Amino acid sequence: MDYDALVVGSGIGGMESALKLGDMGYRVLLIEKEASVGGKMVLLSKVFPTLDCASCISTPKMAAAVHHPNIEVLTYSEVEGIARDGDGGFRARVRQKPRFVDESLCTGCRDCESVCSVAVPDEFNDAMVSRRAAYIAFPQAVPQKALIERAGTSPCSFDCPAGIRAHGYVALIRSGEYEKAFQLVLETTPLVGSLGRACYAFCESACTRGDLEGSLPIRRLKRFVADRHYAAETPPAIEIPARNGKKVAVVGSGPAGLTAAWQLARRGYQVKILEAASEPGGMLRLTIPGYRLPVEVVEQDIANVTALGVEIETGTRVESPEALMQQGYDAVLLATGTPLSSSLGIPGESLNGALDALSFLRDMRLGEAPNLHGKRVAVIGGGDVAIDCVRTARRLGAKEATVAYRRGREEMPAHRHEVRDAEQEGARLELLVAPVEVLGDESGAVTGLRCIRMTLGEPDASGRRRPEPKPGSEFELGCDVVIAAVGMSADTASFAAQLQLNGDKTIAVDPQTMQTATPSVFAAGDVVSGPSDMASAVGRGRRAAAMIDRWLQGNELDGAGFDDGLAAVSKTEVLARQKTYARLEPAEPGVLLSAAPTDFAELEPPLSEEEARASAVRCLDCGVCSECQECVSACPADAIDLDMRGRELDVEVGAIVVSTGFKLFPADLKPQYGYGKFKNVITATQMERLLAPTRPYNTVLRPGDGRMPERIAYVMCTGSRDQTVGNPLCSKFCCMYSIKQNQLIMGVLPLAELTVHYIDVRAVGKGYDEFYAQASAMGADFVKGRVAEIRETDEGNLILRYEDVENGGAVAEAEYDLVVLAVGVQPNREILKLFPGGELAFDDFDYVDEVDEDLNPARTSIPGVYVAGSASGAKDIPESILHAGAAAAQAAAHLEAMRVSS
Amino acid sequence: MSRDVREIVREEQWMRPRILEALASGPLTVPEIAAAIGRPADEAMFWVMGMRKYGYLHELKEKTGDGYFRYETPAGSAS
Repeated sequence: MDYDALVVGSGIGGMESALKLGDMGYRVLLIEKEASVGGKMVLLSKVFPTLDCASCISTPKMAAAVHHPNIEVLTYSEVEGIARDGDGGFRARVRQKPRFVDESLCTGCRDCESVCSVAVPDEFNDAMVSRRAAYIAFPQAVPQKALIERAGTSPCSFDCPAGIRAHGYVALIRSGEYEKAFQLVLETTPLVGSLGRACYAFCESACTRGDLEGSLPIRRLKRFVADRHYAAETPPAIEIPARNGKKVAVVGSGPAGLTAAWQLARRGYQVKILEAASEPGGMLRLTIPGYRLPVEVVEQDIANVTALGVEIETGTRVESPEALMQQGYDAVLLATGTPLSSSLGIPGESLNGALDALSFLRDMRLGEAPNLHGKRVAVIGGGDVAIDCVRTARRLGAKEATVAYRRGREEMPAHRHEVRDAEQEGARLELLVAPVEVLGDESGAVTGLRCIRMTLGEPDASGRRRPEPKPGSEFELGCDVVIAAVGMSADTASFAAQLQLNGDKTIAVDPQTMQTATPSVFAAGDVVSGPSDMASAVGRGRRAAAMIDRWLQGNELDGAGFDDGLAAVSKTEVLARQKTYARLEPAEPGVLLSAAPTDFAELEPPLSEEEARASAVRCLDCGVCSECQECVSACPADAIDLDMRGRELDVEVGAIVVSTGFKLFPADLKPQYGYGKFKNVITATQMERLLAPTRPYNTVLRPGDGRMPERIAYVMCTGSRDQTVGNPLCSKFCCMYSIKQNQLIMGVLPLAELTVHYIDVRAVGKGYDEFYAQASAMGADFVKGRVAEIRETDEGNLILRYEDVENGGAVAEAEYDLVVLAVGVQPNREILKLFPGGELAFDDFDYVDEVDEDLNPARTSIPGVYVAGSASGAKDIPESILHAGAAAAQAAAHLEAMRVSS
Repeated sequence: MSRDVREIVREEQWMRPRILEALASGPLTVPEIAAAIGRPADEAMFWVMGMRKYGYLHELKEKTGDGYFRYETPAGSAS
């Protein structure tokens, strides 16, 4: 047996049972689902009728429970299920949720909280004020340790192939921390500006706000911080790490190569990039047209890499990785992309005017574009490169620019907005046609393209419907230039003797480690995957760098983790957090398209600062924590551990005490009282917080406008003794806590008028009736009769319509500044799952049934399982403590019986 | 219609510089802050109290004649 007793729940009842059992010498496991022990009592203002400070009474017990030598406490943990074993004991499965903070290191300084970029309602203050995603539950929390609320990885971050923490930089922009947002992206890749313009923004497709009025402009937000950083007269210097004495050669300077070089240089490697072209940047500089990505931005991004001491040698074509190793490099990364255009495979491709897409785009970027003025251009293909070609052709003066694609519009692999923009710039789509022959005249110049009409058949391996030629449908498309944009491939022929290649000429690597069959040679980017996109290439470059680092440090690569984040949080879960959503308009795209574009000026305007922050504030904080890393940087104890994961443990115990407390009635289920709608209608638990020493406001104020209320009404029995909400039971202590609050308010607001609308006051307990009389003598006005409804005035005051039983039963109305709903209690139905076998009996109202309540209090339907406190029905604090003592005695008796019989 | 509390609270860091700017000219009540930033008083209440919790502002001891506290920045109290 691991423990003698398991106590579930650490409110006043659970703590009392655990302490009593521990004092008797039994080993106790105390499980608490919240981040602190103490339950509801520690959050009260004072207790009745003594008006002792609730915190002052609770905290010694909390500390005693946590530090008791016979009690082990697991906070932020839940019991998932309990089953009987064959020996009279039990097996329980406990799930300990990750705090993402190492409790042994955390000093409770709250530095993480002060820099956290995410604000959420503070449930420990009944949502009257904010807390942060990184937080300590409340000032008296035991243990006084921080935790980070994480529901999962936000979909925007999860879906980014580059591994950029999109939610993180969005949250930092919302906070006005623009440079920190830039630096967060820079941790992943140096290509902040390029990705901010030309990434296909998988993040935006995943954005939960897209299910409402439209996703955030996450890519443009990245551009916003990049533009600000690069525009600064003195941008923050990049810290150059100390060299570790090892050298890595990176072949290719596209997104994968530049990112890998950046990551390796930051780890202290001496990195040299070898680039075959005359300029660095790969597809960023040589393929993507300037209207999407200005070359100046590419150069700014590349400067991030060279600032770390990375050397870039252009005009150097590497044909042998082995030769590089012989030059003294410790590892080589091949990131040469897919620089070869696929041919059409039809007659006439060698005619003058028949071009391949990559050469065409490269010539354009290097200022060597052909003169297309007045010409007719046909681009073959349906991908983004084809669209880049046709839009470039329009800018170079083509009078006709046609995309000929063998499938339909829906099947085009190009992004829809690119296709739409191309059409707005005058490009024409010729769909369901395939080229048969490039036609030319006697001088060898292109004169047209013979095509055949296609029809779509069954889906092929790609999932798209297979195009099939229509017999006899050939026709001639007149054109002067034909550009083939039907695919790209790797240029790896020279590596074939040393490395294993795939059938499509890509380099064969272990997909987890990016290592080739030659251990010191790694490969990443499109030369491995085939043609992809910038963000995916960045992601593979990062992975390769991490693996090269592991390998060069002598660590095993097998099983090495990389970007092992939390699973993506479900959008359904995110959207269920709010009852309503205001419509927050997305930023205007603002792209100004011309039907006849004449230059390569950038099309997309930047976001203004106001637009950027207004856009960022639309973020729903799906994962709650944004992973902005601010807490990691701020923690002086290095206690933040975002890689922490939860654990499950199975324990064997001899007895169980269920002390899971109660739930409060949701006041909005009485809509006639206006809770959640009228700003100055609050619950009595909210008033408890306003009266507590650790209150959310500076004193008792109206939530609607911050004014001190002068006329306050209490509505008793809200959600209790009320058949209309299915709860005929009396909540037992609402009368007394309302009377207590009346007395406390009169202390805080001596001139306030207090009125209590009640059915009857139940003051059963030592000193309770005297306490009631005292409140009355102090000036609280008790009006017998139900409140029918509450209305709100323009000033935020509340008009109560009520029955006045003691004045002839008349229906009357009165106006108040603030109304407090004395909400009743309900059973905590979460305990229904504790015993999946169903043996634990509940009464008609779902409280735990005490099967022999008169003679054996706390005993349940299962021998060895006992109930303490309000889990078996409403009890005030003294009753709960007495009941918990009974449960401990019963559990001890059971344990002794087990011992004797064994 | 009132907005969801979660939605209002999310805007705290966005509103913070606006509120601090409003307080730059002197202490204000919650309705005055709300008017200065052009947002409802009940929403401003969340932001002001959140900023109070995290030390960006605090209340003056004396309340106004109509029962409001005025709030100022720590810099305001130092001057």
